[in-house]
Amino acid sequence: MPESESAEQPPQEPVELQRDTAEGDGTAPAGLSEAQQRTLLRLLKVAYPHPDFPDDPYERTAKAVQDADGAAELLADGLDDLDEQAGGDFAGLADADATKIVEQVADGAFFKLVHSTTVVALYDDHQVWELLGYEGPSFDKGGYVGRGFDDLDWLPDPRVEEYDGEPRAEIVTTGLVKAEGSN
Amino acid sequence: MATIDHKDPVVVIIGSGAGGGTVAHQLTTQGVKCVVLEAGPHLTRDDYENDEWRAFTQMAWLDMRTTSGSWRVANDFPNLPAWIVKAVGGSTTHWSGATPRFMEHEFRTRSVYGEIDGANLLDWPITLDEMAPWYDKAEKAIGSSHRHGRPALPANNNYKVFANGAERVGYKYYATGPYGTNATPYDGRPASVQDGFNFQGDKSGAKWSTAVREIPRALETGNLDLRPECQAVKITHDDAGKVDGVEYLDAAGNLHKQAARVVCVAGNSIESPRLLLMSSSSLHPDGLANSSGQVGRNYMRHMTGSAYATFERPVRMYRGETMAGIIADEAKYDTSRGFAGGYYMETLSLGPAFLAAFVEPGEWGRSFTEKMDAYERTAGMWIVGEDMPQESNRITLNTEVKDQHGLPVPNVNFDDHPNDVAMRNHGYARADLLYEAVGALSVHHTPPYPSTHNLGTCRMSERPEDGVVDRWGKAHDVPNLFVSDGSVMTTGAAANPTLTIVALATRQADHILSEMNAGNL
Repeated sequence: MPESESAEQPPQEPVELQRDTAEGDGTAPAGLSEAQQRTLLRLLKVAYPHPDFPDDPYERTAKAVQDADGAAELLADGLDDLDEQAGGDFAGLADADATKIVEQVADGAFFKLVHSTTVVALYDDHQVWELLGYEGPSFDKGGYVGRGFDDLDWLPDPRVEEYDGEPRAEIVTTGLVKAEGSN
Repeated sequence: MATIDHKDPVVVIIGSGAGGGTVAHQLTTQGVKCVVLEAGPHLTRDDYENDEWRAFTQMAWLDMRTTSGSWRVANDFPNLPAWIVKAVGGSTTHWSGATPRFMEHEFRTRSVYGEIDGANLLDWPITLDEMAPWYDKAEKAIGSSHRHGRPALPANNNYKVFANGAERVGYKYYATGPYGTNATPYDGRPASVQDGFNFQGDKSGAKWSTAVREIPRALETGNLDLRPECQAVKITHDDAGKVDGVEYLDAAGNLHKQAARVVCVAGNSIESPRLLLMSSSSLHPDGLANSSGQVGRNYMRHMTGSAYATFERPVRMYRGETMAGIIADEAKYDTSRGFAGGYYMETLSLGPAFLAAFVEPGEWGRSFTEKMDAYERTAGMWIVGEDMPQESNRITLNTEVKDQHGLPVPNVNFDDHPNDVAMRNHGYARADLLYEAVGALSVHHTPPYPSTHNLGTCRMSERPEDGVVDRWGKAHDVPNLFVSDGSVMTTGAAANPTLTIVALATRQADHILSEMNAGNL
């Protein structure tokens, strides 16, 4: 039996990849003080820096983090710890100094919770899709067959048929190097 | 659809994917009554979502599983060893569509590669020659492009980068297929609209799956009783050792038993051995059909990796058929490369949501967000090749962790073989050269995703002591028990497995029919 998964685990979903946050209820969950919420928002912008992103998607992501399973146990203490390590005000630190503090907590349960929620919530945010140049659902628009699936014009049009010269050699025994781990 | 009495001993097929769906179609169209037990819901085209996370939540197999071993998935996704589908159609619902055949020597790797330390290589009891007519049938069923007169798909943006890079580094054997999606209407299904959603179920029906072809046609015969949301939990047998029924839980959690004349297990390579192990009895103390001790062993997941390259100008890799681009030049046994086996390179794209989760699991900071900021200018490929079967790579029952039904969850133990690592590094280096040849600014090497190709846990062998099933996929130990999915693969070959699973299942169904007609089943 694997050591990492112990008997007390109840039936559950995989710990990663479980949240669909595309349609959160948008309500601010309780539990964090205003200062802690400010620290959380700053943490997201420091750990996932996108120069061209406005605050909105980060704010929605902060809500998703507060909604995540385990947030009640981990979030407030983790954010207070960031402030403590920052000498009182994590949100007031410059990017480089704030990043150094995140590096120190990156392996802990608090940051893992923030990270596993953020990679889903931030990049499933439809405003972020637009910012990154992703167009989302396409079937109801007729797919991309008439909307640029082949509009790349900075390379020549390649062959789409299979090579019609001599067949591919499937066994080549010119060299004698053997696989590592082989006799 | 037929309604079959629980006491009526019919052919019971567990799973409705490439293997189970194909067997059900072959048998019901020949007049044989079948019950298909499918653990997932009956989703159809209108249900599918053009949205990565919604589709994942809708159809992925999310029942609890555990992992162990040194593979990185055990660290990054400890409860998601495999990315497969729990729905009618099984993982053909989210397969991408690449359909290369296995190569001749890949059916006899023990003879060709010789003995490799730590690898449990074995020659298949069948040959490519024997499989050729079944491959023909499978390609026609799927409608593989570039085969039997089916036209090629056009070049999409991701393919343009991929194929130009291939040409510039001297590769010859590249094309937009063979690929199981219609370039033009075929077999009652439309041409691709290049919608870009392959892993989420295809809303248009241009992509082949058993959910759009085999299952609906089997239902039309009136010989199929399809039971979705029914999880098989035990295969029972009589005193003589023949299997005689399957116990299963319905959506409400009620236990039923369907009498069986023949049982075909096709739950994919984690659930199939799990079910056999859960079906232990006084006659089969180590699990049903496990006198060899090989049930659950030799789990293979293919050597995989991905390369994502960024460019100055837009690519928009997400537009169009995701994997309609295949390079076969490295799919060969070449002793000069320092490893056994070969690999394919295939175009691949993820949306921002999945790319963020998978491109470099755990990474944060600017190195991570730079990859995301380059999304529109990114091209992607998957590298997929033969991995070495190892006895210790294995599915076992984890009796300490229970699923929602109170049953032991499967644990997936996996270590990369040094041969797998050498092949992956070779593939990454070749991907670098290919993308640099067309002006890449950077190429990122993404580690393997949770396994989409799960193979080998009930392997086929000539001798009963070497494996679980014979040349027909019939259990060595049980005369009327068959395994009908990728679990039977003796070795994994380099090719994407779906075509071969369909070919093997078609051949198996033909064998079952003739044995029934001869009075042997």
